[in-house]
Amino acid sequence: MVLLVTSDNEQFVVDKDVAERSVLIKNMLEDVGESDQPIPLPNVSSSVLKKVLEYCEHHRGERLPTTDSESQDETRKRTTDISEWDQKFISVDQEMLFEIILAANYLDIKPLLDVGCKTVANMIKGKTPEEIRKLFNIVNDFTPEEEAQIKKENEWAEDR
Amino acid sequence: MAALNQYPMPAPTADLATTWAFLEEGVDHIMTKLQTGVSYSKYMSLYTVAYNYCTSSKMPTNTSSEQSVAGRSGANLMGSDLYNNLIRYFVQHLRHLRDHSDTLQNELLLRYYAGEWDRYTTGANYINRLFTYLNRHWVKRERDEGRKGVYPVYTLALVQWRANFFLHIQGKQSKLAGAILRLIEHQRNGETIDQGLVKKVVDSFVSLGIDETDLNKASLDNYKEHFEIPFLSATEAYYKHESDSFLRENTVSDYLEKSEERLKEEEDRVERYLHTTTRKLLINKCEHVLVRAHAELMWESFQSLLDYDKDEDLQRMYSLLSRIPEGLEPLRRKFEEHVKRAGLAAVAKLVGTDTAAIDALDPKAYVDALLEVHTKSSDTVNRSFKGEAGFVASLDRACREFVNRNAATGVSSSRSPELLAKHADALLRKNNKVAEEGDLEGALNRVMVIFKYLEEKDVFQTFYSTKLSKRLIHGVSASDEAEASMISKLKEACGFEYTNKLQRMFTDMSLSKDLTDSFKERMEQNTMIWTLTSALWCLDGLIVPTDIQLTYDRFQKYYQRSIQGKYILMTSAYQMAVLLQYNTNDTLSLDELAAATNIGKDLLTQVLQPLVKSRILINEETDQYDLNPHFKSKKIRVNLNQPIKAEVKAESTDVLKTVDEDRKYVIQATIVRIMKARKTMKNQPLIQEVISQISQRFTPKIPDIKKAIDTLLEKEYIERVDGTRDTFAYVA
Repeated sequence: MVLLVTSDNEQFVVDKDVAERSVLIKNMLEDVGESDQPIPLPNVSSSVLKKVLEYCEHHRGERLPTTDSESQDETRKRTTDISEWDQKFISVDQEMLFEIILAANYLDIKPLLDVGCKTVANMIKGKTPEEIRKLFNIVNDFTPEEEAQIKKENEWAEDR
Repeated sequence: MAALNQYPMPAPTADLATTWAFLEEGVDHIMTKLQTGVSYSKYMSLYTVAYNYCTSSKMPTNTSSEQSVAGRSGANLMGSDLYNNLIRYFVQHLRHLRDHSDTLQNELLLRYYAGEWDRYTTGANYINRLFTYLNRHWVKRERDEGRKGVYPVYTLALVQWRANFFLHIQGKQSKLAGAILRLIEHQRNGETIDQGLVKKVVDSFVSLGIDETDLNKASLDNYKEHFEIPFLSATEAYYKHESDSFLRENTVSDYLEKSEERLKEEEDRVERYLHTTTRKLLINKCEHVLVRAHAELMWESFQSLLDYDKDEDLQRMYSLLSRIPEGLEPLRRKFEEHVKRAGLAAVAKLVGTDTAAIDALDPKAYVDALLEVHTKSSDTVNRSFKGEAGFVASLDRACREFVNRNAATGVSSSRSPELLAKHADALLRKNNKVAEEGDLEGALNRVMVIFKYLEEKDVFQTFYSTKLSKRLIHGVSASDEAEASMISKLKEACGFEYTNKLQRMFTDMSLSKDLTDSFKERMEQNTMIWTLTSALWCLDGLIVPTDIQLTYDRFQKYYQRSIQGKYILMTSAYQMAVLLQYNTNDTLSLDELAAATNIGKDLLTQVLQPLVKSRILINEETDQYDLNPHFKSKKIRVNLNQPIKAEVKAESTDVLKTVDEDRKYVIQATIVRIMKARKTMKNQPLIQEVISQISQRFTPKIPDIKKAIDTLLEKEYIERVDGTRDTFAYVA
């Protein structure tokens, strides 16, 4: 069992193999050795960690993607499929979605990072720049000239 | 929470100076004081600060990162500042090590180097993980964009170690490699050294090799340049010196043993602390200095090792010289000469100086002498030369030479086959001591050993069949099994054709038995009468006078009863066979006679001729022969066997004549076979082909082949191709 402490000082006691879905924690336990010290996670809040641990719990025991295997990386990137459980899991509000992505990035949980990024990609798919701006609440900071230029450059990609 | 407060860390928005100051303290702790431990919270805070810096959205302050490569297309990623600061840290850390190492030499230097290497690489592994995000994020991007000289943090640490520490100690005098080489020299001199230390330092040479194009691949460049090359030349110098001075004070035998040990030691050395790829080069080098450089001397001493039967030394010399491609050939040549000399000497000793003794030579003694030399030499090949094919070939060549040409044979190539056949005969006779001892089979196998080397196997065959016929007729053969075993051995060695005749002699034996049964019944006597195919048996009726005499007596009685018993008939064996048929019939046709006697019709006619002429048989109708019941003659004793030549000549001469006659036909048959297959052929290649096909049985002489060609031209089996002088064509 390991003890995780969030940025808002909440403690989570989890099985080691669940915590080790995070390559960061796995590496640290390997390097430093096991002890009963708490492990501080200064970049993750309790609400997000709860969600992340739910994911780790569900996927415990699965094989971790090897960090340096390029071919596996490629196949992982190519598919946009998300499993049924993951889809349900990631059906959260936009703010939580981004928090999960950031936490996955920080904790180095590649499959979760992928699920998050694929979800965002699916949200963008088929939308106009205007719709996307609206979706993510982005202020258009291009000048009309700049925008015309970009549009022209990307004309080939337009879906007509 | 206390755990967090214990390590207050800079805010995510902190500037580079604050961030780096925090990180540097942690990095230094890990690189220099790791043994005091690292807490989870310290680890996490270092990771988090590096992470936060890399993910912060502030634009890189180019003023603080002059050393980084500016001017990139696409998005700016944070990281180059941390990366450059890490380089600065490593350089500074290594400068300390360098200063400290400057005063150290030899083993102390190696101990210092190895200790620091362990600490450094362990620390760098930590740092690499703490800066995982830098690797994933910034380094990967830089490398993806093709920038050279940017490495993941651990590799960066190695690159810095090599540039700032390793190359410095190596310097111009190869201080580091030199220290290793001195330790290895001590070990070669028989001292005990710390092999683990050597291994650690040598391994570091390998680890420091970095393949710029693919970091996952190991590069041996650093190891080769800084260690392997000087190591190999030190090895060469060491063994050159050692082998020269050793040989000045010791025998070649001692040297062989020494070299063998040295080569084994060097193999072990690779196992213990060198990179496996060095094995081949190192062993090559040692073979060059220890073996090739002294090969001449070994070749020279080979003869005396052979002379004194120094098996172990021969074995060593063989295995040493087999390491270099040109090493064994001189040994093989010398060995061949040696065996040949031994063979010739053995026979010469047997013959002595008395030339008369040659004719009275005991076949057993002769064969035993040949065998002794062969067995001894063959043992040497198997024991000392591991039965290596080249030495087997040398042995065979030498044996072939002394078996066929020695003091006993003189210039006669038929002497050895004759003696061997006689020896075989002696073995296969009843009352032979060897047979009683129960090792007849072994003795026959030994006959085959020598047989293999006979050049004129057909001569052996002729002698053997003569002897076999005598054994069979006299009933003195030791056993049918032994005879059959010998024939099957010959068959195995020379093929079906070679033993066909011998085999058929046995068939004749059983046929004859049946044939004479009726005669026996009638005569109530126990003598066997054999009807033999004279072409096979090399007998001309009267060669076995006692037997024939017996038969004569019985035959006489038989004739007295059947044709009024007034005459003594002198007949040949096959004439007897023919006359026997008239026991049951008064009239027989040529076909019936042929069937009953197993004599070919052509021959049968010839056999019948004197019988008809003397009017014992009457031939009034074609192919119809009747017994003449009114036979009369002026003489009581009628010699029907007139065409018998005067046969008192030496058996050998006779046998050889038969051999010559047989050879003519073998040559002719071979030519026809070849021409039938090739259709046309030039003279020279034809002769070559004939020689190569026949040499299994005997060595044909070229004039004989030419004569055979002429005969075949005459008989129109082949013809000259128009317009050429030396091309023949097959006539279908």
